[in-house]
Amino acid sequence: MPLIRHEPAVLADRPRASDDLAALSAGLSALAPAERRAAAHALGAWAQSAPALLGALDKETEQSVRSALLGALARVGSEEAVAGLADCLRSEDAWLRNAAIEELRAMPEQVAGVIAHLLADWDRDVRILAVGILDTLRHERVEEWLLQLIDADADVNVCGAALDVLAEVATARAEAPVAALLERFADEPYIAFTGKLVLGRLAREL
Amino acid sequence: MNQTVKHILIVDDAATVRMYHRAILEEAGYAVTEAVNGVEALEKALDKAGAYDLYLVDVNMPQLDGFGFLRALRAQDGPQAPAIMVSTEAEDGDRRQAFGAGANHYLVKPARPQQLLRSVGLLLGERGERA
Amino acid sequence: MQDATISADDFQRFREYFYRRSGIQFEPSKRYFVDKRLAERIRATGCNGFRDYFAKLRFETSGAEWQALVNEMTVNETYFMREDYQFECLIQSMLPELMAHKRPGEPLRIWVMPSSSGEEAYTIAMFLLERWPHLAERDVEIVSSDIDTRILAQAQAGLYSQRAVHQLPASWLQKYFTREAGGWRICKMLRDAVAFTRVNLNDAAEVAAYRGFDVVFCRNLLIYFDDASRRQAAESFFDVLRPGGFICLGHSESMSRISSLFRIRKFPQAIVYQKPLEGL
Repeated sequence: MPLIRHEPAVLADRPRASDDLAALSAGLSALAPAERRAAAHALGAWAQSAPALLGALDKETEQSVRSALLGALARVGSEEAVAGLADCLRSEDAWLRNAAIEELRAMPEQVAGVIAHLLADWDRDVRILAVGILDTLRHERVEEWLLQLIDADADVNVCGAALDVLAEVATARAEAPVAALLERFADEPYIAFTGKLVLGRLAREL
Repeated sequence: MNQTVKHILIVDDAATVRMYHRAILEEAGYAVTEAVNGVEALEKALDKAGAYDLYLVDVNMPQLDGFGFLRALRAQDGPQAPAIMVSTEAEDGDRRQAFGAGANHYLVKPARPQQLLRSVGLLLGERGERA
Repeated sequence: MQDATISADDFQRFREYFYRRSGIQFEPSKRYFVDKRLAERIRATGCNGFRDYFAKLRFETSGAEWQALVNEMTVNETYFMREDYQFECLIQSMLPELMAHKRPGEPLRIWVMPSSSGEEAYTIAMFLLERWPHLAERDVEIVSSDIDTRILAQAQAGLYSQRAVHQLPASWLQKYFTREAGGWRICKMLRDAVAFTRVNLNDAAEVAAYRGFDVVFCRNLLIYFDDASRRQAAESFFDVLRPGGFICLGHSESMSRISSLFRIRKFPQAIVYQKPLEGL
């Protein structure tokens, strides 16, 4: 009978949760990516596993394992884990930069502790990526951080990125800073376009 | 004289950048479709072969960036539409990397309307510039 | 002050947000459709108009409103043959590829989740029986899972309304169902052909028991999840699948909002996603 059903369904044995941090950490260097993924995943439940996860992230080349490592770091959520994720913004690896941002976007309380630093980074690419974290971050200070940024930042693309997020979250308090930004970058068509969009949305709400 | 409307796929994770490029291109008479990253762009490009006459592609996007998208696109069989890569980077190395991935033109962000339209016009083989 | 109207700007801001999060684009022609449902959500949440509601949607840490919103904005009905182009794709494109890599005697394993009341899994079974010429040569296991034990019981019982069966070819309805007082009962052979199990997709330990599947159907579920849960679910599915295995999402869903782990595969009937063959 070709359509077969086993009672109960043929399922793999549920893996026994290991209580050995050292063994799990060793699993991060297993030969099979599936094992490394499983180890990364299990370590996400351990508060002290950030160093091991970050160490593995440094060397890991398999995308699916890197994803698992980043996800585990996010679940650990310790200061060290968050700092490690934030550090990924400086990586040469575009995928890693963006994947780390995706994790950070879901960690509003922890991000609040590091975002000011990132938004003031000397490297404008890091600042742009930091704005990218704010883009879906569920934190009441998102607008405040963005307005502080456009007040002070000299880079047109950093300000453009901030305006893009403001198009979604701006309230009345954004009016003056955005108007000032429009004047500073009067010569930039994209800033003019987006700034006008932001102000227009505000005007219609008031 | 019969001119079919050319269709451009705009790929950028920033909504306002897509809106801005859309406004410029639609005003000049092009039809526009959007995608938020390389994965969505690839799905749209694969879904209907020949649907797009040109790709306008941002570099920095989650899931699959501009380089990844172009490489995956260029790996497909069949005729290929030209692509303009748009990036915040202005170095020669970045430009070369873009051409290496399969871009035909490279613009530094934020692109100005005239620059964009000139590139588009050239790549679509149009005579003269659309205002 | 309560303001029930949704301005053009509100609509624009909302559709940008919804498109970014779901991939679903509301054309200007859908204005009435969207406004009506948005007004309903504004009312249901007790918000003071669109701006208040949008702030809740955008900033509320639980993210619970997104689920209610998606529910409102999408068609949630389940019925036999829903989005059947994917089953056509299974028969005509996915199975031939999968069979090329299978050892003799190795069963084909399909996971359908969520099971809901079973329509999807049973439809797949019927497609295989009716349309797959190689069924006699290959054992097929269909497992279908859900978090809700009541709906699983319903699926197991296999009793359906007229509405649920309305898309079935008449011959299939005739062949596989019996008319009863309460509706249409699917035949015992098919009820015995699908294993219904309870699983919580967000519990990685539970999902870890599901391994070695060739095809996963996860349609119109992930769209309800928040970004982090979607990502985790996709990574779970990656482990569930054999290398070269396929996963199908709902027709308006896309991996573009979820994960880049899977290869996009364009077949004549559908776009589906594949775990790379080299992966382990």
